[in-house]
Amino acid sequence: MRRPWSRLRVLVALIYVFILAPIVITASVSFNAVNQSKFPPLGFSLRWWREALAWRWLQPLGFSVQLSTTAALVATLLGLPLAFALVRGRFPGRAVLEALALGPLVLPALVTGIALLQFLQLAGLGGLYGFPALLLGHVVICLPFTVRTIAISLRGLPALAERAALSLGASRVRTFVAITLPLIKSGLFAGAVFAFIQSFTDYSISLFLARAGEQPISVTILSALEFGFTPTLAAVAVLTLAVPLVLILVVQHFFRIGDFIYGAETRA
Amino acid sequence: MYARHCEACRAWLMVALPAGFLLVFFVAPNAFLLTSSFLKSESQVLTNEFTLQNYAYLLGRPLYLRAILRSFWIGALVGLIVVILAYPLAFFLARTTSRWKGLLIAGALAPLLASVVVRSYGWWVLLNREGPLSDLVAALLPDSGGLNLLPSSGAIVVGLVHSLLPYGVLTILSALNGVNPTLERAAMSLGASRLRIFAQVTLPLSISGVAGGFLLAFSLSISAYATPAILGGPATATMATQIYEFMTALDDWSLGSAMGAILIFSAMTLLVIGAAIGARRAVV
Repeated sequence: MRRPWSRLRVLVALIYVFILAPIVITASVSFNAVNQSKFPPLGFSLRWWREALAWRWLQPLGFSVQLSTTAALVATLLGLPLAFALVRGRFPGRAVLEALALGPLVLPALVTGIALLQFLQLAGLGGLYGFPALLLGHVVICLPFTVRTIAISLRGLPALAERAALSLGASRVRTFVAITLPLIKSGLFAGAVFAFIQSFTDYSISLFLARAGEQPISVTILSALEFGFTPTLAAVAVLTLAVPLVLILVVQHFFRIGDFIYGAETRA
Repeated sequence: MYARHCEACRAWLMVALPAGFLLVFFVAPNAFLLTSSFLKSESQVLTNEFTLQNYAYLLGRPLYLRAILRSFWIGALVGLIVVILAYPLAFFLARTTSRWKGLLIAGALAPLLASVVVRSYGWWVLLNREGPLSDLVAALLPDSGGLNLLPSSGAIVVGLVHSLLPYGVLTILSALNGVNPTLERAAMSLGASRLRIFAQVTLPLSISGVAGGFLLAFSLSISAYATPAILGGPATATMATQIYEFMTALDDWSLGSAMGAILIFSAMTLLVIGAAIGARRAVV
């Protein structure tokens, strides 16, 4: 008897090869003994890795970590009241507010980037290019992720928990801090992690807002690619991959943030 | 104190800061960009005169018109291939009872952790003239001299399909999770073939995910910059690479704004189409 779905399994295996191949190839290219992005690698050497660990690459990498961490924190703090109002509030203009919060997902980030560039220029705030301008742009593109994730966890909140606290005489503030916050903790962390990854892997909004010395790693790699595809870049690329991966593994250990990706369909 | 009596006031007071932030740094800049694309600019200084000449210029030059059209056909093709590849994968992930299910889902979404810049670089390594595919062809057919796949629109399509596949998987997976498997079992017990069940039960019930995945991939494709910049060249310019040219090398911000505005209109149009046909909107 033919095994059920055997052809589907073969197809799915091929799709996985397609998904993972470029990443595996980039990683192996970094071990070339020659200064060429050859696959399979010619010989084996760690010298491109040594070069990748130079300040020239570690500086933008560190800058990216700093930028994405700040953007994720700010987006979480701004996203919390937004999610709260969207889930709990029944007020005129609620649909407008939702469109506003999710808008950055709809409009192309590249265009938001040039729009911000012109806007800052026009407002005489050209001095903000670099970290401040990048932070503004990154918070904008991160907000939909934190709002949505926090909203999902607020919807899953046991409705009676807060009412019980209020009826026992706790103030609104105390109820929020002692009951609500701990219950949506994993949503807050998941939102911050998604925001961090969104910000860390982004290049399109950063393209026009960075300046020398204040440039995220993705933009640094992109501009270096114009001068050739070297194994050093492959090593740097793998380094950048490690940052979100480690973050996910660490946070997933404490909170089940995976539920927010897979469980997101309850709301989609 | 006033706020306590008015539910709406309290809600808006609570969101004043984030909503204000988005109004100032998201809505206002985009609105300004749209406005300035309709204004005449003289030697890089905007005037108050309404004009359509920026658009007429972009649509009148074959170079720019081709870039716009190329973005659209690439986007449509990418959307199509994404849903064709994402469907079997999502179907498998929705139905599998393997204890590795979590890991398999993570594997399908893992590419999202890598920047598109990094992933396009991987495709460059694979497809370039000295790359493994070319070497393989040269070894099999010594006369051919290998393959020259870069730069090309085809390579851009491959790179974009790869970077947008996870979004397609998520959208279709969320639709498939809403399909009750007992319906399929019922159809099977009534004697329907696998193919018939798929065509008449599973696919119609999950079609909103297919439409949503297509539109999402389409709209992310047309504004993608890194993939066409890495895998394409001057002969395969797209809207996004043209915007980059306008903003940097050519230093013509009005044309850059107008091209950006075309992207905004396209994204809005796709959103309206999606809402009209009831496409699923998965946000990742």
